[in-house]
Amino acid sequence: MKLRTRWRKIIKDIWGNKTRSLLVILSIAVGVAAIGMINNTMTMLRRDLFGAHSRGNPASVSLYISPFDTDLAGAVEAMREVETVQAHRTLSARLIRADGAPAENITLDIVPGFDKVAINRFSIERGAEIPGIRKILLERCSADGLGIDIGDTIIIETEGKQRYSLTVSGIVHDLYLIPYNILGDATGYVSMDTLRWMGEQAYYSRLDVIVAENEGDREHALAVAAQARDRVIETSGYQVYRIAIPGINSDPGEHWGQSQINGFVLVLQVMSVLAIFLSGGLVVNSISAILSQQIRQIGILRSIGAVRSQLVGMYVANVLVLSVAGLAMGLPLGMLGAWWLTNFAAGYLNFDVTAITPDPTVTILQVAVGLVMPIVVAFFPIVSGTRISVYDAIYQQGLAGDRQEGGIDGLLAKIRNLHPPVMLSLRNTFRKKARLAFTLITLTLAGAMFMSVFSTRASLTGQINQIARYVAFDASLSVTPGLTRASVERTAMRIPGVTVAEGWVSSGGILMRADGSEGDEIQVYGIPYNSVTIDPLLIDGRWLQADDTNGVVINDDFLEHAPETAVGSSITVKIADQNRTYEIVGIVSKHLSGSRVYMTYDTFSKATGRSNQADMVRVRLDADKIGSSAEQKRLAAEIEDRFQDAGMSQSSSQTQDEIFGSFTGPFDIILMVLVIMAGLLAVVGGLSLAGTMGMNVMERTREIGVLRAVGANNQAVRQVVVIEGVVVGLISWLLAVAVSGPAGVALAGAVVYAVFKAPVNFQYSFEGLAIWLVVIVLIGVFSSLAPARSAARLTVREVLDYE
Amino acid sequence: MFFCEVSRIIVTSDETTGSGPAPLLDLRCIVKVYQTPAGDLFALKDIDLQVYPGEFVAVVGKSGAGKSTLINVITGIDRPTSGEIIIGGTPIHSLKEDQLARWRGKNLGVVFQFFQLLPNLNLIENITIAMDVCNTYPVREHEKRALALLDQVGIAEHGYKVPAKISGGQQQRVAIARALANDPPVIVADEPTGNLDERTAGEIFDLFENLVEQGRTLLVVTHDREIAARATRQVEIADGKLQGIGVRG
Repeated sequence: MKLRTRWRKIIKDIWGNKTRSLLVILSIAVGVAAIGMINNTMTMLRRDLFGAHSRGNPASVSLYISPFDTDLAGAVEAMREVETVQAHRTLSARLIRADGAPAENITLDIVPGFDKVAINRFSIERGAEIPGIRKILLERCSADGLGIDIGDTIIIETEGKQRYSLTVSGIVHDLYLIPYNILGDATGYVSMDTLRWMGEQAYYSRLDVIVAENEGDREHALAVAAQARDRVIETSGYQVYRIAIPGINSDPGEHWGQSQINGFVLVLQVMSVLAIFLSGGLVVNSISAILSQQIRQIGILRSIGAVRSQLVGMYVANVLVLSVAGLAMGLPLGMLGAWWLTNFAAGYLNFDVTAITPDPTVTILQVAVGLVMPIVVAFFPIVSGTRISVYDAIYQQGLAGDRQEGGIDGLLAKIRNLHPPVMLSLRNTFRKKARLAFTLITLTLAGAMFMSVFSTRASLTGQINQIARYVAFDASLSVTPGLTRASVERTAMRIPGVTVAEGWVSSGGILMRADGSEGDEIQVYGIPYNSVTIDPLLIDGRWLQADDTNGVVINDDFLEHAPETAVGSSITVKIADQNRTYEIVGIVSKHLSGSRVYMTYDTFSKATGRSNQADMVRVRLDADKIGSSAEQKRLAAEIEDRFQDAGMSQSSSQTQDEIFGSFTGPFDIILMVLVIMAGLLAVVGGLSLAGTMGMNVMERTREIGVLRAVGANNQAVRQVVVIEGVVVGLISWLLAVAVSGPAGVALAGAVVYAVFKAPVNFQYSFEGLAIWLVVIVLIGVFSSLAPARSAARLTVREVLDYE
Repeated sequence: MFFCEVSRIIVTSDETTGSGPAPLLDLRCIVKVYQTPAGDLFALKDIDLQVYPGEFVAVVGKSGAGKSTLINVITGIDRPTSGEIIIGGTPIHSLKEDQLARWRGKNLGVVFQFFQLLPNLNLIENITIAMDVCNTYPVREHEKRALALLDQVGIAEHGYKVPAKISGGQQQRVAIARALANDPPVIVADEPTGNLDERTAGEIFDLFENLVEQGRTLLVVTHDREIAARATRQVEIADGKLQGIGVRG
């Protein structure tokens, strides 16, 4: 069949404007790909991560109990409110590397029967299904991270400094653990027989429970756990140390990072919507440019009989062809992105991707965005562009409308003594106000997003630094219970270079509700009132004083669970089975590690009956500043050795660096993705400005010819165009500065909430503001260069052709 | 306002005074006023003009006399401020834009001074697009007909070239072929030789004469009196008014 000439014209127009066509295709493809990448990834995450997690019977709630046996587990399981239970024993130890590499923390997990795990079911990936005596199964992330495989022998050092050789007999995939690559702690699975062989007592310490009803209900799960504690466990003579919902602020049955992942995906989805918005803008811009370029052709077509509906149809078809091409490019790109992101997530979060398949719903959404959105947004410019009369189209093209109206035009007219090309550029900038507004919106959005990403980074850094105030030590170490504070501090001070050593005591507590029922768990600390290893940021009230006998300081995290609490009010805390009431004297900033109550040693001693004791020691080399990473590491090793040699600790020390190293990693990834998205927005913004400048030059061909006719050289013509581009960029920068505040608060808030489930302490980034200023000037220059070159190439002869 | 009846008496040709055939193109009291910051500018003042089937009329006049304005209102490219334009019995002044475009495409061939060809299309396509937008011939016949028209204007061998690859004279031949695409009874040309050298201009007028011999009606605006002398009738326009008539040398 012969193709009609008008359709051939469309194809030739597209081919004849390769750069502009490619621009539209790419902008549509970016939007389509962003939707595909993010939403298909989410679909695959739901299927392969959350789905697999759910299929493995995730625990609703965990109870940390004094040593118990399987009979107790059976008794809890017999409760009507409980569906099933799973007993665990976890043992912290050190994995000694044969190659002399630093020892690693390892948690040994022991369950009653490896072949009948009921909750948080892990799978055997390779090797033996049940670890025999003197054998160990390693979690696959730990095995990969440590370079250990089946058949290798590893040395486990228990807290008593005893070392045991175990042979790796299998590799386990455990979806319910925070993986080694994130947490930095390895996980192995051994039998109770092996544990006995290692000189440990055979008992269980944790009971995972799945509740019978309302499995996702947090309050219900905690209530059932409390019932198990009160009705079964404690009445049987056991003590429940802690009740916790597994995960990081997760709801019962959720993957440990589900809310963070959902939050992060939400942020990406918002950015993809923004990308779609900007690509829609670019489509409008480009179609307007094409129409502007083809005004005379529209006039010619009308002069030979084309009616408006035909012209509209032609240009809609033009957009449709570009949309189909954009869709064709965006669909596989989106899938490729989803493949990359899902595999990245799989590696990071330790799950298996079963298949890379597009979600039909997402594909429909992509088709809608790729095909319908460009036509919808381009329809108005097409309709208005084809409304022009034949006379105007043929005889008036090449001279942009130049009616000077009040406002900005009047203001510009008053400016004097500027270099003529600069003056002309300034006045040109405001001639097509609708187009200027559109370009400014695009650039402003891109700029605001760019600055917001930097503010998000600054806020995250600020948030981390704020948390660092509460671990203001070079190293800390848990010490053997019962040691006196004086002996602990004295031992630490003997380490060369140590200038500060503080013994701290801590205890779990329960916040009592007004009605006398038990509320949330809290952590209570007894510390020196003039502690150097904490640098509290007070948000209300005051810090502890020497004579505080009943006054305590709480953290902001505490208020999440007891929002009515304020300075001057009282709280009742159950510590060591005794209810005690304290007055709040101060509130310090968030720790993001749960509710804390700080009190003086004496107050703590009175509450617990543990007089002048220490549970941990916190040390510093310099009272004025935190040591370098290397200094911290060296000090941590020394304190660990010194206390272990003295029989005062069997624990591993921790540095401030280690604490932050584990959770800055995910931030870096989030920020990297955000910066990439912001960069894409900047590119789209630059393309938009280039399109606008191209249109401006096209419409002012005659004027440029006149400029040349009166002696303007290439440089002068280029200068007029480039200055205009830079001026537009600078105006957008000013607008972006205004928008970047609220946009930054929103983005930083979303990211921080996604990661911490906590409100953001927003910090505006002036660095981002300065960087965007440089970027926008460069965008202004580079996006104007091509149109400026075209303008400079125009000859007076070409201009005459317009007459 | 001007007195239409007076003007009508001055410009009417011998042939219009009798009871001859009805005019194919009938302009009655056409006035065109442009509003400018300096005040109203009367580009056409009470123009009356009748052109009969088979006539070759040349409108001559100096630059700014109103020639192009006259052509533009006749083709419907511009609207008269007042007056009536009846072509082939159709009052085109009362047509809406789309009706006018469709009518023009089928009934009037327009030739512009600067050819106004579509740069991305080859010569054949520049002709077939006129047939396409008007749906006048089956699509399968478009190319054959376009080649025949190009042959008629003597450049069939260049059919697959784009306009930029041929000379100005050749481009104007393509514009004439395009004007003939839908076989309109009337061809209107605005300074068709204004951008061409003398020899090429002569060749274009040879083509026009051939068209007239084939029975078409031509109205051509030109500032070149020598060329205009080849028309069957000359009409002079000055200061927006038709000044008189002339006949072929």
